[in-house]
Amino acid sequence: MRRYVEYFLATARISILSQIQYRVANYFYMIGMIAEPVIYLVVWSTIAKQLGGVVGGYTAGAFAAYYIVWTLVRNMNIVFTPFGWENRIREGELSMSLMRPVHPIISDIAYFSGWKVVVIILWIPIAIFLAWIFKPTIEFTVLKAIVFFIAIWGAFLIRTMLLSLLGMITFWTTRVSAIFDLYFALELILSGRLVPMTLMPAWVQNLSNYLPFKYTFFFPIDALVGNMSTNELWMGIGMQIFWITLGASLLSLVWRVAIKQFSAVGG
Amino acid sequence: MNLFKIAWTYLRIGVMNELQYRVNFFIQILQSVIAVATGLIGLSLVFGQVDNLSGWSRPELLAVMGVHILMGGVIRSAIQPNMERLMNDVLNGTLDFALTKPADAQTLVSVREFRFWQLTDVLVGLVILVIAVIQLQTKMYALQIVAFLAALILGGIMLYCVWLMVTSIAFWVIRVGDIVDLFQGLFAAGRWPISVYPDWLRTGMTFLVPVAFAVTMPAEAVTNRLTSESMLFAFGLTLLFMLLARGVWLLGLRSYSGASA
Amino acid sequence: MSSVITISKLAKHYQVPEREGGLKAAVTSLFKRKYRTVKAVDGISFNIEPGEVVGFLGPNGAGKTTTLKMLSGLLHPTSGEVSVMGYEPRHRSHDYLRQITLVMGNRNQLTWDLPALDSFDLQRAIYGIPVDQFKRTRDEFIELLELKDLVNKPVRNLSLGERMKMEFVVALLHRPKVLFLDEPTIGLDVTMQRRIRTFVAEYNRRYNATVLLTSHYMADVEALCKRVIVIHHGRLLFDGDLSTLVRQFSSYKTLSLTLPNPEVDLVKYGEVISREDGRVTLRVPKAQTSQVTARLLSDFQVDDLTVEDAPVDDVIDQVFSQKEEA
Repeated sequence: MRRYVEYFLATARISILSQIQYRVANYFYMIGMIAEPVIYLVVWSTIAKQLGGVVGGYTAGAFAAYYIVWTLVRNMNIVFTPFGWENRIREGELSMSLMRPVHPIISDIAYFSGWKVVVIILWIPIAIFLAWIFKPTIEFTVLKAIVFFIAIWGAFLIRTMLLSLLGMITFWTTRVSAIFDLYFALELILSGRLVPMTLMPAWVQNLSNYLPFKYTFFFPIDALVGNMSTNELWMGIGMQIFWITLGASLLSLVWRVAIKQFSAVGG
Repeated sequence: MNLFKIAWTYLRIGVMNELQYRVNFFIQILQSVIAVATGLIGLSLVFGQVDNLSGWSRPELLAVMGVHILMGGVIRSAIQPNMERLMNDVLNGTLDFALTKPADAQTLVSVREFRFWQLTDVLVGLVILVIAVIQLQTKMYALQIVAFLAALILGGIMLYCVWLMVTSIAFWVIRVGDIVDLFQGLFAAGRWPISVYPDWLRTGMTFLVPVAFAVTMPAEAVTNRLTSESMLFAFGLTLLFMLLARGVWLLGLRSYSGASA
Repeated sequence: MSSVITISKLAKHYQVPEREGGLKAAVTSLFKRKYRTVKAVDGISFNIEPGEVVGFLGPNGAGKTTTLKMLSGLLHPTSGEVSVMGYEPRHRSHDYLRQITLVMGNRNQLTWDLPALDSFDLQRAIYGIPVDQFKRTRDEFIELLELKDLVNKPVRNLSLGERMKMEFVVALLHRPKVLFLDEPTIGLDVTMQRRIRTFVAEYNRRYNATVLLTSHYMADVEALCKRVIVIHHGRLLFDGDLSTLVRQFSSYKTLSLTLPNPEVDLVKYGEVISREDGRVTLRVPKAQTSQVTARLLSDFQVDDLTVEDAPVDDVIDQVFSQKEEA
């Protein structure tokens, strides 16, 4: 166990060092990334204005809060892209990392965790800037902040499981871009990435309760900017834990089969 | 002119190259359909709440979506591949080959790549556009169509210039691989007509990122909102961008060659 | 007649950021950057006449590729003058570029997924080569390099050596007068290296082209270049005939002899390098060559004795290590 902690910290440290080097690239990425929520925010604020200030229970200020917090949650739930697995296999990186006594996905999690630390720090000025422009309205409580902080790491882990699972497909076929696009389209609709889930038709909201997507975007954001009760907050964390566990179990099963396939065919 | 012949040869080779992979056509269509479906869902969410957005009706917004997809296809088939290759060349030192050829280097690096199958988006965008125009039930005058084409071309050139300028940053800051994400993000702003955005954001967007310009203007041409002043302004802006892009490119080359500042 | 290439006190300095490892240093570097000047090329001068094939020798990081890049216009010199065929390379005029070519070992300009023939067509369009001349040159090279069956295969399916041959064809299609070859045979097997060398020599003969070639492989230089320029740490160490280089810098010679009893102890005569099939090779300090030869001939019944210069590789090694200490 201690060996894993040491490995984790060492990898995270390397990740932090590297990402500081790539700070310009990281900033470019983040600037490009905030375009998405800003666009949603502007469109919905316009609609709210047209309807006298409120749409689906959200004022312009509430939308601003939602989408600004969105940017942090988004940065947190960015994980190793499923497209990357194809490259890994092809370039021989996977063979190399299989030689190490650490599971590649654990390695990914360690690396990305370190990266997230840098990201959170880089995000703060962006958030201040956005808040200054869009004037979000938000009610802070300590409980909400705590749950939020846990939930963003939960979102990171859920999406790690999901996208790693997706990435496993590349062990069998390389023509995967359409499959991935389909996944991302579904995620867009069902996770709260496009709009707060409460603005979706009832049947969509119902459906999303049974799927993990909502816990990668909507739940963390709403934990901080919404009005969930203490019960609902901790239930949400519980659901995150559920999905992480389910995802991890599924992943280790699929991984075993995938590696067998990989070793049979050759790297 | 020699440059046209070079561009044509690259195009011919690029198409021949891609035609080898016919499966890509079907994958592309599938991806275009998914994108259209997502866009339509977005539209219905909006129109579930209001019946116009900043004065744009549903078919009009559909037209904007059509132009956006069309432009996206143009970017992904002709502009993006070249800019990505340029970035890689700067990183790996293979730009040297382009620089020792007796042809304008900017032109060379801008026409080398062409992803034929991405043209499906151009097709899909056109289809959506036609559907939107039919739904609008207005007559399209020849002048409108000319204005539409002109707006498309000007918009395309503007987008190319912006891409080139941002990619040229690679000359100074070698690792700018996330340019693609930056652009996809910024291009997404063109999904909606500029009038949706508050004034202060609008001016910023027009000058910093003529994305909205490149998409809204052709849509305005189709929905009869385009004024000749806007066209003239667009023309001037495009010229400005072309000059700027050329300047940044040349500066970048000087830096690459280690010329003293 | 004026030289084709003139270089005078050419220098290229780089500012390289310097940083230590560790977290503290990484964060400090965000605020304060330390730089160090690297003198990649530190004041070299030489002239090259039309038709010469000159070898540019030096260890990694010596400044060879940097010099080549300044000659082809890719890099601006920090100071000094450079002129090729009367042009200043850094202006990269199209007339200038039409008359030169740059070949870099390990780097491809061919289109990967298509047959080389398509890349040739592209080159024709770029250089504006008239169709008949193009066809003639192309076919001439295809024949010289025996590429007839390969030009229709996608480049990615060719072996490394075959690809390099194609690179040469595409690089020379426009019949440039000056060739800059940067490690062109690197990574190739011996046969392929020889083919490329023969081709370059033939091109030089047919078109009286001037060739500047950098290489690690002495065989390249020995086969192609009468004249060598040796560079180390950005400075010119030697400029002249290869044989002069050997004579000037080698401090020993090798003696090969056949003796009736090859197992005899020869320690008094010199350092024994090898004993094989009755043939012994001795390394002898240059000054003592005639002495040792005389003694050997009088002390033994020698069937056969050859005196040779030190292998060029060893000489070059010595040149560099000498100058290291200096």
